[in-house]
Amino acid sequence: MQTADFTALTPLLLLAAAIAAVMLQIALKRSHILTIVLTLAGLIAAMLGVLAVGDMPARQVTPLVTMDRLAFFFIGLILTATAATALLGCRYWEHAVGQCEEYYLLLLVAALGACVLAAAHHFAAFFIGLEILSISLFTLMAFARRRMASVEAGLKYLVLAGISSAFLLFGIALIYADVGSLAFPIWTARLQAAGETVSPLLLIGMGMTVIGVGFKLALVPFHMWTADIYQGAPAPTTAFVATVSKSAMVALLLRLFAPVDFTAEPALFWTLAILAFASMIVGNILALRQDSVKRILAYSSIAHMGYLLVAFLSGGPAAIAATVFYITAYTITVLGAFGVVTVLSRTDADADSMSDFQGLFFSHPWLAGVFMAMLLSLAGIPLTAGFIGKFYAITAGAQGGIWWLIITLVLTSAASLFYYLRIVVAMFSPPLENKTQPPAAGISYSGGLVLTVMTVLLIWVGSAPGPLIDLIGRITQ
Amino acid sequence: MTLYSLLFYLLAIIILASTVMAVTRRNLVHAIIYLVVSFFGSAMLFYLLGAPFLAAIEVIIYAGAIMILFLFIVMMIDVDRHKERLFPIRQCLPAIIFGLVYAAVGLMVTFGHSGSKASMPIAVATPNAFGRFVFEHHWLAVEIVSLLLLVALIGALYLGRLKIEKSAAAGKETP
Repeated sequence: MQTADFTALTPLLLLAAAIAAVMLQIALKRSHILTIVLTLAGLIAAMLGVLAVGDMPARQVTPLVTMDRLAFFFIGLILTATAATALLGCRYWEHAVGQCEEYYLLLLVAALGACVLAAAHHFAAFFIGLEILSISLFTLMAFARRRMASVEAGLKYLVLAGISSAFLLFGIALIYADVGSLAFPIWTARLQAAGETVSPLLLIGMGMTVIGVGFKLALVPFHMWTADIYQGAPAPTTAFVATVSKSAMVALLLRLFAPVDFTAEPALFWTLAILAFASMIVGNILALRQDSVKRILAYSSIAHMGYLLVAFLSGGPAAIAATVFYITAYTITVLGAFGVVTVLSRTDADADSMSDFQGLFFSHPWLAGVFMAMLLSLAGIPLTAGFIGKFYAITAGAQGGIWWLIITLVLTSAASLFYYLRIVVAMFSPPLENKTQPPAAGISYSGGLVLTVMTVLLIWVGSAPGPLIDLIGRITQ
Repeated sequence: MTLYSLLFYLLAIIILASTVMAVTRRNLVHAIIYLVVSFFGSAMLFYLLGAPFLAAIEVIIYAGAIMILFLFIVMMIDVDRHKERLFPIRQCLPAIIFGLVYAAVGLMVTFGHSGSKASMPIAVATPNAFGRFVFEHHWLAVEIVSLLLLVALIGALYLGRLKIEKSAAAGKETP
């Protein structure tokens, strides 16, 4: 326990301090505005902490976590996404019945769990981080407790996350039985040394770990929960699940499997490749026939995790950089997309069905424009962040020579245009006549701020990705 | 067969049998009692492996506190209306398939894989040494786990308050 340990942990400590502050504030005097201010102050302080210590040499703090540049990058991403979710929640919960200050507290704790996952260096940290994230997430999902769909989503997630945790724990136990240590580097070293003759114990343990990771990333066939939960959960929570939970898991995926040489480990390669293939195909096919915008985004997230795995599996020098870039671009896009959904939602019902978006261009032209930009980015149209991400993924895949996955990626992306454009067409169609328009409330400043920032980032990363690529190049060295 | 391995196999049989009973009982109270037996068995196993502190914790927290809480909850929410019956065949089939896969994998691992033949040396972790180890090497884990407990508490409080509000609202509607 040295000073340098605490310096390296600065962002996490600041986040923990924010949690304590918000908790005390709620206990002493409930005030929505004050809670939001404290939450944002804590998140910004933690971000400044990341900036302050992010360039330090990597430091392992206890056997559990390693604070290196990759960890700091992902922590920054997680904090940004959490701040955006909190800002989006501001107007959303304002008119909620009952008390809603706990939402921000839970958001902060979930973000801390995600940060622990992103910095995990040890299976124990992996599991603890995952549990903090899961437990906060299902409360966040059930937070709109007057809506049955929301409570149902929370309950479904609780049960399924419990089952996936059980698989993961069993897998960890098997890995420990074989390796004799829970630290990631010892595990990967053992895997490397074993080559193709991996012991069955290690193989099964690895398979179960993949199940745990696959559940959180919603890869097919562990995707069953996604659509119901995306649809049922309150819109800000859905944004949080789609960004923070996914990016933390991607960070973990990089730590677990990036040091492994896939050519020497065909079992692992084929497992992940089949998951990627199935996710791309199933995600896109299921999205085609949906009539709910949140469900479309849910299935599209499954497909996107498949694309991300293509980048990851390429195994070439660009694999890690392409994966990190992809998840960053995806986070920006999804925050924007769910930002629009949140801004249009009211506390009693989320904007969800296609008819809620019909004629949006005529009532809220700017909102329609932002949503269109986000959808085009998800589809991978040039000048958006999503295009660069996909381009990068394909380049990395080509270097790795996994052509069948690249062909699947290109074909399914083309198919995905159909359902993204369906939403765009609905937005530009004339509004339904006999539809009671939602109250034309102005967009709140906080929601507008999030949408503006995300749109600017989307266009900036999409048209001049140089700075971000340089940054990612530096952290993945 | 030494006394040590004899005890181990005895305990293993008790744990397995009581867990199987706990899973298959339809009466929740019976299931919980079997689970308590299973936890006692695991506690003994921990003791046998040289972790007396863990054994005590297992008895106090799992068998003692958590399971009794389960019992209270089961008694409070009155779920015992369903007749005792076996699982429908629809649920049985996947369970049996997965069970067979698990059994096959387990057999494969036990007999097909040489593994590490060297048995681990028997060590005893005294409570003192255990505490020192945790707080010197894994202090961060302790702190993070405390947050896990905190968030579980907050979540339970928030969702639990729903009941009160709902019953209050229901009380207003039907006085």
